Amino acid sequence: MPTMTVSGHQYSLNSGNIEAALQGALPEPIHEHFVVINGRRWPPKQVVALVTGLDRADFTSHHARRVLTRLGFPAGRTVTGRGHHTVASGATAPPLSAAYGADERPAPSVETLRPYIGLWVAVCGDEVLVGAPSPKEVVAWLSQHGQRAQSMFRVVDSEQAITGAAPQ
Amino acid sequence: MRFTFRALPAASGGALTPRPVVDITLDGLEAAPIECLLDTGALRTRMSAEIAPLAGIELSGDLTEEFSIAGLKTVGTMARVNLMVTDGTDEFIWDAPVWFCDPWPHPFGLAGLEGFLQHFLVTIHAYHGYLEIEPESELQDS
Repeated sequence: MPTMTVSGHQYSLNSGNIEAALQGALPEPIHEHFVVINGRRWPPKQVVALVTGLDRADFTSHHARRVLTRLGFPAGRTVTGRGHHTVASGATAPPLSAAYGADERPAPSVETLRPYIGLWVAVCGDEVLVGAPSPKEVVAWLSQHGQRAQSMFRVVDSEQAITGAAPQ
Repeated sequence: MRFTFRALPAASGGALTPRPVVDITLDGLEAAPIECLLDTGALRTRMSAEIAPLAGIELSGDLTEEFSIAGLKTVGTMARVNLMVTDGTDEFIWDAPVWFCDPWPHPFGLAGLEGFLQHFLVTIHAYHGYLEIEPESELQDS
């Protein structure tokens, strides 16, 4: 197991214990830097603080990102503080290009939503702000972090969940 | 006001057919508008009962109805709520009955006749994958 030094302390870290440490936690809002773990974007400092128990003031974002990329997690940086994916392709529909007018707002792509299958998500533009097992947890997270979503819904975990919708 | 159909990942891989949805904001839950499937066959506008307390809505149980949806027997409780839709530029606000249902099988709400469709002129451009809504002129004048 690789040993890494963070803020003068030595830690034995691997991708498995990083992923385990994030179980049950929700990613905080991404301001600039992020790492992708299990398909979700996480602020590097949040991850390293959760894993090591260190105070976030004890290390920098760059250091945290370096630690995590060395463990094999891809990292990225948002341009304006929000993610910038391309607009959802709507792969199974007729061409959607004609639908995009001046008032068009982007939406998360199918691939962006895929890690959240079965979870409630709050989305804003093309970004998933948070995914959690219940709408209550999603709303609590939005409130805690002063965020506002464009839409909240559950990403279906079975195709049957969205068929036969008309009430009798 | 235009809303693009929304695509979701299929659990079995690939993507589900994009569907006509509108994000409806409940008064008291402005931070998280609820995605609602446009359902021209539904008489009511319905959402999960889980949503009501998040918007500070107390379900008194004065007006309830039992019905089946997607093969599931459920109970809906009616509450009048201020609703809002926005495309980021304009916004429409109206007062409507919403039926909060427990249990609720769907991953979104249903925007039906009462509560949504009766308030708007809705044009569905299914081929191009979007819908447009405009407030009914009679409602605007009243």
